[in-house]
Amino acid sequence: MSLHRFTHRTRKDKDLADEIESHLAHEQDTNTARGLPEEEARRQARLRFGNPRVTRERVWRYRSLPWIEDGWRDLRFALRSLAKTPGFTLIAIIVIAVGIGVNTAVFSVINTVLLKPLTYPDPQSLMQLMNTGPQGSFPGANIPKFNIWHQQTAIFEKVAGYDFGGAGINLIGGDHPQQVQGIHVTADYFSMFGAPVIAGRTFTAEEDSPHGGRVLVLSYALWKSRFGGNPKIVGSTIQLDGEPYLVVGVIGRSFVTEPPGDLWLPFQFDLTSQDMAHYFTVAARLKPGITQQQANTQLKLAADQLRRIYGSNAIPPQGGFSVVPLQESIIGDTRFPLLVLLGAVGFVLLIACANVANLLLARASARNRELATRSALGAGRGQIIRQLLIESLTLSLSGGLLGLVLGFAGVRLLLSISPGGIPRLGEDGSAVALDLNILLFTLGLSVLTGILFGLAPAISASRPNLSATLNENGNRSGVGFRHSKLRSALVISEMALALILVIGASLLIRTFLKLQAVDPGFDMHNVLTMAMSLSGNRFQKTAGVTQIIHDGADRLKAVPGVIDAAAGNGLPLQGGFGMVFDILGRPKGNTPFTGGAGFYSISWSYFNTLKIPLLRGRNFTEQDNDSAPGVAIINEAMARHYWPKGNPLNDRIQIGPGAGPAFAESSRQIVGIVGDTHDGGLNRDPFPTMYIPLAQMPDAETALNSRVSPLWWIVRSTADPHSLVTPISVALREASGGLPVAHIRTMDEIEVRTTSRQRFNMLLLTIFGASGLFMAAIGVYGVMAYSVQQRTQELGIRMALGAQASNLRNMVIGQGMALTLMGVAIGIGGAFGLTRFLASFLFGVKVWDPFVFIVTPLLLTVVALIAIWIPAIRATRVDPMTALRLE
Amino acid sequence: MVLKRPPEAGDILQGTLDMLILRTLVMGPAHGHTIAQVIEHTSENALEVEQGSLYPALHRLEDRGWLTSEWGLSENNRRAKFYRLTARGRKELGAATGRWRKMTRAIGLILGESNE
Repeated sequence: MSLHRFTHRTRKDKDLADEIESHLAHEQDTNTARGLPEEEARRQARLRFGNPRVTRERVWRYRSLPWIEDGWRDLRFALRSLAKTPGFTLIAIIVIAVGIGVNTAVFSVINTVLLKPLTYPDPQSLMQLMNTGPQGSFPGANIPKFNIWHQQTAIFEKVAGYDFGGAGINLIGGDHPQQVQGIHVTADYFSMFGAPVIAGRTFTAEEDSPHGGRVLVLSYALWKSRFGGNPKIVGSTIQLDGEPYLVVGVIGRSFVTEPPGDLWLPFQFDLTSQDMAHYFTVAARLKPGITQQQANTQLKLAADQLRRIYGSNAIPPQGGFSVVPLQESIIGDTRFPLLVLLGAVGFVLLIACANVANLLLARASARNRELATRSALGAGRGQIIRQLLIESLTLSLSGGLLGLVLGFAGVRLLLSISPGGIPRLGEDGSAVALDLNILLFTLGLSVLTGILFGLAPAISASRPNLSATLNENGNRSGVGFRHSKLRSALVISEMALALILVIGASLLIRTFLKLQAVDPGFDMHNVLTMAMSLSGNRFQKTAGVTQIIHDGADRLKAVPGVIDAAAGNGLPLQGGFGMVFDILGRPKGNTPFTGGAGFYSISWSYFNTLKIPLLRGRNFTEQDNDSAPGVAIINEAMARHYWPKGNPLNDRIQIGPGAGPAFAESSRQIVGIVGDTHDGGLNRDPFPTMYIPLAQMPDAETALNSRVSPLWWIVRSTADPHSLVTPISVALREASGGLPVAHIRTMDEIEVRTTSRQRFNMLLLTIFGASGLFMAAIGVYGVMAYSVQQRTQELGIRMALGAQASNLRNMVIGQGMALTLMGVAIGIGGAFGLTRFLASFLFGVKVWDPFVFIVTPLLLTVVALIAIWIPAIRATRVDPMTALRLE
Repeated sequence: MVLKRPPEAGDILQGTLDMLILRTLVMGPAHGHTIAQVIEHTSENALEVEQGSLYPALHRLEDRGWLTSEWGLSENNRRAKFYRLTARGRKELGAATGRWRKMTRAIGLILGESNE
């Protein structure tokens, strides 16, 4: 079939008309030849041919695509008719835009985090190696484990270890020193992840062995920002921690790591190490054809093998290994909260649909006469439904387009305010990009929405009672029983859905307030913290670290406005390391050690600076150094847990038994008990924690510490510490001989970061709840206002018969509140069923929190009452004479 | 909206009309009126061409590339649109004739059998 069929229809029609004219002339000629008079000859010719217009129409239709043609006509008609009621159109589009916008926003996050595959080649075969145990599984590796995994060549094509940047590295030279994230990797890392090398090369196996030399690979971002994209940088040396490093290569921009890194260094493992502390993670690429399950079966054998070689210190009796897809491991526990949010925005969309459906029903009633006229003129029911559906699709698609813009701008704004600690989103959500998935999602949602809210009104409007409607005078007939029932049902469901959302939001708000009310165990205000990377030779021994802390603290205390200063290898709220310990003289039963606890090495002024209260015993002093007997301080949680009756101050503990040579030290006397801090986050109970003086650490432990964690400086000031950032950084740089500081934050800011997930959920659900509530209020207002308008005559008669204004007002309020209360009742029931999905989000609040379940319905009722009040007052202003004259 | 067209009584089957038009044009170009007359006369007036169907059929055949058309002067010295068979039209006529023969033979066989 050729396209000619559909082109130049008007010209072809003219041609056909001429042709028919010619045909008639010839027929007339024939008739004349048969001897008929001219008039009769023409008449017979026309009679024989029939109606030329019918022929022309048949050809015309043959040349048309009826569906598109009619659709186009309906679309133009829809636009005209929507333009005639700009108020309605605007409200409907805004409601839809909000409904679709929040969905687009949440979906764009889900798309980025959950749906988009990792950007590495063949990402499905990339696996994270996990330690399994009765308490669940976690990533983490040491060299003995790495060796065992590396030997599993039957299941793994490549195995690579990497860390997450650890302590940070000081990039010296140029105008300003800078602390960068250097990721340590094994040689196979780049080939396993398929990293694109845009200049030079990656590490050789020799470079990744002990004494392999100082080499590094630059990331695209650092190459551009620090070295201006100069290709000659490859082969030259740059200064890291005061040592020259050879740049061997640059990796392309498309290579994304989680978390991001600035440069890569070879691990240079001593593969004979028996150090059992976990300080890096390992990923592997499965051999083609090997499934996750096959790999896990093989890894069970590997775990047994490791246990045979190193004993149960290396791997606990019930422990083992497994692999999970790398993407799953990166996403972690964010999947479920995101899906809950998607459910919540689904509710918002449903409310929006019910709202617009209600508006359309009202509009359809007002258009009854128009529709009846069209019907009387021969429009089929299908045609009317299609016409109305095209109108609603026009609305939903315009709303969807606006929603796309709103939702996308909104999610970027939100993520820049509160990133929520969600992985894969990039800096301030920069990884959330508009792509085909999001466009298709929004388009699909818009079409679905248009049909959802348009279909019921369209079907109901396409059943007009012709003669009744046409005989009506005026448009007061509108609200038939069926319509009003449907509209009431819609309002009730809007109310119910809105209540569920608002109850969810209230639970999260309560959670957040409870979190804010948690006593962190120290004074958070006016404390500035910053990280200093201690990589480099002079920090391999404890004395070097002690020296820098001593010098730094002295300098800091000389800065005007500074009250106290301290340092440690971790911060409260942020968490630190964990370590096993034995209590001397206490039987261990069948476990290899007494227990485990959080483990901080700190400077002697740490507790004073943070104002962590000393409960018993004594504080550390400057005299607790390497020549003094070993001491430790524990927190209250540890005392309660391990000395429920006894006195810890009488006991000595051995820290890190069996954790490897780095932790080999003599036992320590417990000299004090301090108050608890919430190091796993404000929503978790304080962990048992032990503290030791930094000055008393074994050199080997200091060396490991300097490698995996920065030194955190803590400065307490008299006023807002932000004004002190510059003098403090300068003081520390001078005291340390030019080392930069990074991650400069106040303790208050750290607190905000640790609660950012809760803040994010609360913000979102509050936005959803508020928009749901607002739309539901508009909905009930609309229905009651419309009902008052439609019943003007009835109200007028009632008034003429002596009804008081207050009677009429109460009647309208009563009807409106009946709808509201029905919605509230259903909503409470629904919320009882649904809030349990929020259980993992909550802290200090039950899912059936009575306060929320009483106050929230009241709030909703009050809002609805206000919305109903306006039409109720209008009902009392009906002038009986005007109302009756309408007849 | 396409309205359902009731089948027109006495109409020649659509495919058949197409074949008859193509066959008529083998003898040379002709305009619509002549085509209708030739079909009627050749069939000894047994077939009557529904003239409302003739022109849609001609346009359809032209769209398929089986006919071409141009305006010219008729034997009566009137303007008329002349249709000419194309090579593809000739081929289609051959195929259509073959299909027709096969079908009438088959129907003939069935009717012949039932007559015995």
